[in-house]
Amino acid sequence: MSRLPFWFIVTGILGFIAYHAFSLLSLTGWLGDELRGPEGWFHAHLFVLGWATMLAMGAVYQLIHVILQSDIYSTRLGYIHYVMFSIGVIGMLYGFVRADVRWLAGFATCALIGILLFGWNMAVTLYKASQWNPITVSTACACLYLVLTGLTGMLMGLNFAFGQWNGLHERIFGAHIWMGTIGWFGMLITGFSYKMLPMFYLSHHYPVRLQKVILLLWNAAVITGVTAFLTDHKEGLLWLALLLLTAGMLVYVYHLEQIQEKRHKNNPGPGIRWSVYVSRALAAFMVALLIYASQGPELLLHARVVLLAGWLYLGGWVSLTILGYASKIVPFLWWTHKYGKQAGKPGTPLMAGMLSQRHVNWGLIAMVASSLLLVSGVLINLAEVMMVGGTLLSVFSMAYIFMIARVFKH
Amino acid sequence: MEQTEQVNQLVECLKEVYDPELGVNIVDLGLVYEVQEEPGRVWVRMTLTTPGCPLHDTILGAVKWVLQEHTDHKDVDVQLVWEPQWSPEMMSNEAKEMLGYF
Repeated sequence: MSRLPFWFIVTGILGFIAYHAFSLLSLTGWLGDELRGPEGWFHAHLFVLGWATMLAMGAVYQLIHVILQSDIYSTRLGYIHYVMFSIGVIGMLYGFVRADVRWLAGFATCALIGILLFGWNMAVTLYKASQWNPITVSTACACLYLVLTGLTGMLMGLNFAFGQWNGLHERIFGAHIWMGTIGWFGMLITGFSYKMLPMFYLSHHYPVRLQKVILLLWNAAVITGVTAFLTDHKEGLLWLALLLLTAGMLVYVYHLEQIQEKRHKNNPGPGIRWSVYVSRALAAFMVALLIYASQGPELLLHARVVLLAGWLYLGGWVSLTILGYASKIVPFLWWTHKYGKQAGKPGTPLMAGMLSQRHVNWGLIAMVASSLLLVSGVLINLAEVMMVGGTLLSVFSMAYIFMIARVFKH
Repeated sequence: MEQTEQVNQLVECLKEVYDPELGVNIVDLGLVYEVQEEPGRVWVRMTLTTPGCPLHDTILGAVKWVLQEHTDHKDVDVQLVWEPQWSPEMMSNEAKEMLGYF
């Protein structure tokens, strides 16, 4: 197996450690502040690009041949992508700290070239495989939204440097966030789960019809949300986008139940179980948000509602799902690299023996509990509760990721 | 699977090959459809729990290694098939019990 996923996953883990280390150093003070400033941009991009996207890209490189049963179009292109994207992200983050537009422009271009190379590599791979099912279509859509997120980010950068687009800048900013969060992460997590969950639950003969329904609802939500921002019709269309997304999420959660009903393995491991729990929790939150915003769609645009939704979606569902899946992906990656050729030979350890499932479970419980404390602080607007929740989340997150990284010591 | 004494010995060898994720050997998982010893070579027809299984190379490599190690044959032919499709009912009772199937 190529070492490409390994590089992305290890770099993603380092990004995760750096994010929580910086959070602890600043005593999570930035959490309650307006995110639109150099410090907020630094933390948001470190989290989204340095951690979540880096690890997600590694997972794509690792799992694409499982999904397509064919290899990636070009591993060499993948390595160039890794170098460009990593240098680009590190340079961008330093640019945010220095608030230096020229520096930012150069490294953002580097990161964008990395994303474009990834998009091209995936497009050719998917086209050659010609295997169109909800899993591959979701993956293709996710990659397309990632490319569009990168391009809109670059447009905003160009505006900072040369343009005076005023109102248009805000519109592109909204579309950039919506495509990156709901489009890229949402479609990748749902699409990959259609393959991952049955594999770990050993589920067979489950219905797959709803996967197409989710695909349609999720895409409709992304397109409606992007239209809402670009046309500046947020108050009307954003609620509709949330309605479509909530419907998609509810069908997704129901489909996860269908997969579990047909399981033949009682325990898929806590990482997989928690990925289901956090999906249920997000679906419940989305229903509540939908009901809340039905009193007036403008409520969705309040800074604290945006912060709360952002934390629950990105810090909660996206991050915890990735962390849960990482407890399966990392041991698999390392086991295959280290022991793959020794399978069947005496003394070869089992994959399950590389990581204590009990510790994974406690780690996830601790992170979920501290996340809930953090969002409670946001909800009641109490800085002290946010600070305690944020600090605990960072401490538990670092302990969890160190535990995952210890797999590499085997 | 046809069980002659000759085949039984080869099947016992294949029980050393575990699915590293499930922790159950490939024979009890019901992945091995047919094993034959022919003059000069061993021939195995088997499947995996799911197409595109990420452990594809690992399991097939282990089958070859185990048979080369326990027989005089260096020519081990492993044919991976998807028909008939593997189904959990193909597992032995021991495997079902290990996975909490019951």
